[in-house]
Amino acid sequence: MIKSYKFRRHFTNAITYIILAVLGLIWISPLVYLVLHSFRADGGVSYPYLVPKQFTFQNYVELFTQSKWLNPAASGSSSVDFPKWFMNTFVVAIFSCIISTLAVLMVSYAFSRLRFKARKPLINVGMILGMFPGFMTMIAIYYLLKAIGLDKTLVALVICYSAGAGLGYQISKGFFDTIPRALDEAATIDGATKNQVFWKIILPMSKPIVVYTVLTSFIGPWTDFILAKIIMQDKLDNYTVAIGLQKMIAADMITQHFKHFLAGSVIVAVPITILFLFMQRYYVEGVTAGGVKG
Amino acid sequence: MKRILALVLAVMLMATLFVGCGGSSDNGNTTSGSSDDPFYGEDNISLKVWAPDAAVALTQKQCDAFKALYPNKTISIEVIAQGESDAATNLLNDPSAAADVFGFACDQLNKLEKAGVLSPVSDYPEYEAAVKGRDSEESIAAATLNGKLLAYPETGDNGYYLVYDKRYVTDEDAKTLEGVFAACKKAGKNFVMDAGNGFYSCMFPFTGGLKITGLEGEDDTQVFNEYDADAVADTLVAFATLFHDNKDNFLSGDVSKVSSGMSVDPSTVAAGIDGSWNAAACQKALGDNYGAAKLPTIKVNGEDKQIISMHGYKLMGVNKSSKFPESAQLLANYLTDEECQKQRAEEISWGPSNKNVAASDVVKNNVAVSAILAQSAYSIPQVNISSTFWNPMADLGNNLFKEGTKYDKDTLKKLLQDTVTNIKDE
Repeated sequence: MIKSYKFRRHFTNAITYIILAVLGLIWISPLVYLVLHSFRADGGVSYPYLVPKQFTFQNYVELFTQSKWLNPAASGSSSVDFPKWFMNTFVVAIFSCIISTLAVLMVSYAFSRLRFKARKPLINVGMILGMFPGFMTMIAIYYLLKAIGLDKTLVALVICYSAGAGLGYQISKGFFDTIPRALDEAATIDGATKNQVFWKIILPMSKPIVVYTVLTSFIGPWTDFILAKIIMQDKLDNYTVAIGLQKMIAADMITQHFKHFLAGSVIVAVPITILFLFMQRYYVEGVTAGGVKG
Repeated sequence: MKRILALVLAVMLMATLFVGCGGSSDNGNTTSGSSDDPFYGEDNISLKVWAPDAAVALTQKQCDAFKALYPNKTISIEVIAQGESDAATNLLNDPSAAADVFGFACDQLNKLEKAGVLSPVSDYPEYEAAVKGRDSEESIAAATLNGKLLAYPETGDNGYYLVYDKRYVTDEDAKTLEGVFAACKKAGKNFVMDAGNGFYSCMFPFTGGLKITGLEGEDDTQVFNEYDADAVADTLVAFATLFHDNKDNFLSGDVSKVSSGMSVDPSTVAAGIDGSWNAAACQKALGDNYGAAKLPTIKVNGEDKQIISMHGYKLMGVNKSSKFPESAQLLANYLTDEECQKQRAEEISWGPSNKNVAASDVVKNNVAVSAILAQSAYSIPQVNISSTFWNPMADLGNNLFKEGTKYDKDTLKKLLQDTVTNIKDE
């Protein structure tokens, strides 16, 4: 029998930690593999060892030197232009992030604080529309964009990523609902307009939700594949990283570009990681210091 | 993706629609030019060409040469990387936004014809005559459907060949599949082929005497020849036995596995079946030890049988929705003529469909291209193939080498019959 409570506790802890460690290892292994092999010097698509035998920065160097955008004099032997794709995605992400964050917060504020006749119906319409899967309308979106000559452009991506953003109001509306109305009323008595209340009272107290919205809307363009693919078709110059990376492992490119693909995948993680590390400070701060005793 | 919602978007678009529509310029300049103008009056031409990544630079160069031929026309040509294997799929997504001239593998001809997106060469008698005069009969057959020449033959080498590392496999070994396996076993390295892919696995029944002879009926049912089921089954048994006996030295994987297995140090692959499009990668990996030959023979009931492969062609098609149809035909004709095929053979080792280039030294000195052209004598052209052909065929291939599967004659005879039935019925 198990003798003491202490022993029992250590024993169960050990078991738990072993299980967690194994799960953690399984979870992290693809990432480790990706990073390790992005520095691999030898071999092509398949490689018989888990850990590469030779390491090099060459894959990363080539990813940038073969770019026609950075280096117009590049021999032009390849259509892979990762830096351009990266910049495209970055620009799209910045713009759709700004637009959709503003849209979400404003819609949420209106639904949470203002009272008007169409409020309930609009909330319901928003909920229902939000339930339709996005890819349902993608082909229609493409032809609409084409009709106005915006297909294959980055502007189209920004429009698509941010146009419907306001419908994602539920979470932030819920957050605004927890901020006491007494604050609004106090501000109104002091002469603030609804607009001023939003910018000066509600927004500074909503850092967690602002950060959450910024993060999700910034990450969207980096990970979206299907819509970007439909809109961009064969316009390689306007590709985002997601479709660009997929292009690099297409049948006619995989042999030359597989290791560039690995390196590119690692680089894609950089801006998201930086943004998260930077925002996390505010995120935690917001969570702990948010909320006002009512 | 809640953000992407049609309603909100549509409202936004409606607003901009008025702006956008105003500037729509209709391209109705179908004015009749003089008969000696190959463009038939088209000017301010802008064309888009799809070529696979490896050929983009060369194709752009050829397009520039094309432009230089007509100094009094304003022509702009853009070459975009697009693999041939999924050219049809990408074209059909939206033909009006796709390339004017595009390269594709000949098995997509059916699909493109059915969708009605190809502008047939046969509508242009002068180009049709040119093609018939310069390209091999097989390649013309591959570009023809129901008696109509639909596209321009671009290459004659969309097939596969035996690649081997001369350090481990001698030229003599490479003549028989048994020899190849024995050499691989001795070297402790793998033989790689994509046995679970219909494009390659069809070689197993084809070697035994099965043939595809066309399509019939409304829904394009595949027709086979009157094959001898016992002979085919014997051949399948021979393949399966070799794969099982050498299972430690046999690996099923696509061609990129062949070249990458050869490029690691120490290499893991001594021989394999490699596609023409991947030959450059294998050549780079092996250097002077690069060996290429037609597919080997296999011993069936004591008799050496030549392996029969599937042989395809790359074609160049003209998009029916092209805004400059005459110019697109002219360009496609130019890009597939003798000079351009010769440049492709020289610079990127693409085997020609042009009779003169095929007989030239460029091809004779290129071991990979010669190997593929040698194999084409023992091959079934990749034309008139039903879309239901590939999956059952891949399944047959998988069943020949998967561990734990039975491979006696009766089982494989049944497998063959099931495969044929599935291809016909599916």
